[in-house]
Amino acid sequence: MKRWQMIKLGLILAVYTIVGCVGLALVYNSTSKTIAQRQEADLQAGLREVFPKATGFTLRVGKGTVKSPNPKIIFGAAYTANGPSGPLGIAVKVAGSSYGGTTTLLVGVSTDKTITGVKILENKDTPGLGGNAASPTYYVDKATKMTFPGQFAGKKLTDGFVVKKDVIAITSATITSRSITNLVQVVGKAVSDTLDLGGSPQAPPSQGRSPVLPSADSVRIASKAATSNVPGVSILETLVGTKAGAIVGAAAKAKANSYDGDVTVLVGVSTDGTILGVQIVEITDSQGSPILAPGFARQFAGKKAGAPLEVGTNIDAVSGATFSSTAATQLVKATAEALVKALAGGGL
Amino acid sequence: MKRLFGVFVNGLIVENPLFVIMIGLCSSMAVTTTVANGIGMGVALTFVLVMSELIISLFRNLIPESIRMPIFLIVIAAFTTIMDLEMKAYFPVLSKSMGVFIPLVVVNCIIMGRVEAFSSKQPVADSILDGLGMGIGYAWVLIALSVVRELLGNGTLLGFQIMPSSFTPMIFFILPPGGFLVFSLWMAASNDLRRKLLAGRKPEPTQDSCCTLPDNGSAEKA
Repeated sequence: MKRWQMIKLGLILAVYTIVGCVGLALVYNSTSKTIAQRQEADLQAGLREVFPKATGFTLRVGKGTVKSPNPKIIFGAAYTANGPSGPLGIAVKVAGSSYGGTTTLLVGVSTDKTITGVKILENKDTPGLGGNAASPTYYVDKATKMTFPGQFAGKKLTDGFVVKKDVIAITSATITSRSITNLVQVVGKAVSDTLDLGGSPQAPPSQGRSPVLPSADSVRIASKAATSNVPGVSILETLVGTKAGAIVGAAAKAKANSYDGDVTVLVGVSTDGTILGVQIVEITDSQGSPILAPGFARQFAGKKAGAPLEVGTNIDAVSGATFSSTAATQLVKATAEALVKALAGGGL
Repeated sequence: MKRLFGVFVNGLIVENPLFVIMIGLCSSMAVTTTVANGIGMGVALTFVLVMSELIISLFRNLIPESIRMPIFLIVIAAFTTIMDLEMKAYFPVLSKSMGVFIPLVVVNCIIMGRVEAFSSKQPVADSILDGLGMGIGYAWVLIALSVVRELLGNGTLLGFQIMPSSFTPMIFFILPPGGFLVFSLWMAASNDLRRKLLAGRKPEPTQDSCCTLPDNGSAEKA
């Protein structure tokens, strides 16, 4: 009898747990998109803050990423800050430990090896003490209204980064001040090493043949970028494919938000508006990786850019990744339409 | 009606969770360095407390005695996580500045204490009002503490500069010792008021009766 009693109690507990989990899942589903959007907006605002003069930012991929010299300091995404006349420098997202947990910063370093700005994205230190690092109204120098991260702007990498010597500490929060200063210096050094290795902040131009433009014998960067009027779609790179000097098509790399991450695709369109090839370049959704399988992207080839590309109608979703499949399909359609418009507009 | 009102006001002064029952002090000390954090934490705790008391009171006959604690914890943790997610989505600045203290609402003794002592034995309406009263009792203390600490320790209120620029902020008030000092002064004032409120009414409830609350609210009815 006692055993049955125990099993009964276990089952009752399980019922409460399941109901709790279902409730949480519903709330998570309804808020996760907003939270992801907030974080993305924070990141964009942060990038503009650390590179006030930049006109745009490009995510660095492959060899362009900046490597952390210390396994305890984790480098996130790195971005090239583009100015009106070429790249201005590199911004890196970095996470390292501080007094109350992980602190995440965005650090901008210009090509002349000067810190352009530091923005604190996340800080878990004591509110009112170390937490002041992230406060926009806490000034380490009241006369000039300089915040703690603000004092790094314009600092040369050759300077010392010593708290209480050339870095003003936050009152009663020396550990926070030191760890942030250290993170800024580590990023500065790593970016400077990347620049020394010839890793020019410019993304390497994609020359030669392109898999999404099989009919072209040479591919160059377009002199006029394609633009999409679909909200949330950003075209990162526009390419033109030529055969014996004549334009046969155009391709573009584009990025948009997906379920809980984002998706990047490469789309090639011929001059008559047919999609020649699609590549899913990157998907950061937690469950999205199945759409990287070549079979998914292959479905688009040969379809007209103007056709109603829709998951469930003429595009099959990858099972288990319906959200990511839908987001990728919408992005491919928007990019293809933008390319058709750009090809029609001429001047590429 | 009068009984329900009695349940509600009970938490404000007479059985204030921080000043009289004296539970949940850790978070009150940690987040009250700025008024915005004090308000945020007060609202957050009130929400979790009211919702947990409501649910547990509703299901109080379906919760076996021997596993009531894990069930309470599941309910409290679920509401805390819901609030954490909602705050991250709609009040990101507040959520950031309160950091780890929001998830820690789960282990705030006030919630566990009220759920165990009150709502697991009382009807739904009483439980909601008890949660509301206790939550507001907690929130006003947090705001009272943070007003003094932010004004003297930083020279500002809600981020706006109040003190003249010649005023040097007294960091002492932001640090834990200053928190304890301000807390004890407010507690002395509040408990003095409590004594006056209770004087000539009924003999002051002993520490035991205030925490187990067998016939809470009936004092008002008598």
